[in-house]
Amino acid sequence: MKNSFDEKILEEAHDWVVANQKVVLATVIQTWGSSPRQVGSRMIVNEKGDFSGSVSGGCVESAVVRECIGLIKENKPYKKIEFKVSNESAWEVGLACGGEIAVYLEQVN
Amino acid sequence: MKLQTLKSIIEKKKNKSEFAIITNLTTGESEIFEKDKPLSKEMETYTNQINKLFKSKKNGIIENTEIFVETYVLPIKVIVVGAVHIAQYLVDFARSLNFEISIIDPRGYFASEQRFPDMKIINKWPDEAFKEIETNENTALIALTHDPKIDDPALQHALKKNFYYIGALGSKKTHENRCQRLKEAGFDNDQIDSIHGPIGIKLGGRSAPEIALSIIAQLVSETYKK
Repeated sequence: MKNSFDEKILEEAHDWVVANQKVVLATVIQTWGSSPRQVGSRMIVNEKGDFSGSVSGGCVESAVVRECIGLIKENKPYKKIEFKVSNESAWEVGLACGGEIAVYLEQVN
Repeated sequence: MKLQTLKSIIEKKKNKSEFAIITNLTTGESEIFEKDKPLSKEMETYTNQINKLFKSKKNGIIENTEIFVETYVLPIKVIVVGAVHIAQYLVDFARSLNFEISIIDPRGYFASEQRFPDMKIINKWPDEAFKEIETNENTALIALTHDPKIDDPALQHALKKNFYYIGALGSKKTHENRCQRLKEAGFDNDQIDSIHGPIGIKLGGRSAPEIALSIIAQLVSETYKK
């Protein structure tokens, strides 16, 4: 059975908007292999880089924050980004667990 | 996502309705899907696939498209019998896990608003209280009074309605006596064995928050088993 083990992220996003912050929703839309968080997991990021929620177990959050700030700066409405298996020597960011995830970024406007 | 869409999502969650958010990943446009309500022209084509994901309560991209569906389901109803100390901690855990708790206790001094602010407390005997709550096989019961007068009628209701989780607080001895009473009331062994008693997973702790944690852990685990 599925319960809506809900993290109330959208409610928090609304609070941020009300507080005059620019908010980007980042949602896990696809996973391949073993990924730390399931499809539908979400984090929110504001223009200062404050964030809440998660799309992985801490593996790619920093990159998602950077991308979200970029989205706000360039005033783009949405963007899809993918993260693949990490290679410790070559990449700063990646999924150590060996999975892949696609994250959809969208501005609340 | 439009602010208006975000607002209506939050409103729908508050009103406890089941719905889905449909997002076209190539345009960034999103809309809300509800059972038996028409979709926009653009999304109409995908009605069958959206319904399928909605029914199976799944999130995901519709195959060979760029349409993302995120379903919101109702929180699971958990009936707690006994507005006791442990229940106060259960309420806190349940809030962060999004279980919808109702507390039943006929004893007014336990079921006070001061002890349980912002909680739905039914200050009646279980038989009367269950007339006010719709229950089914997706409901859970946590019986905490270990007073047969209060717990037993609730347990009997839960067994008859086939609740997916039934737990009862009390020692092994208390539970043995309880099982005996249920047997005499006509319940079979399979039904009686389905009751988690003594309630909770083995954590070792004896304090009220620790017992609440062990109960809620068992409840989450049983939810995923179903």
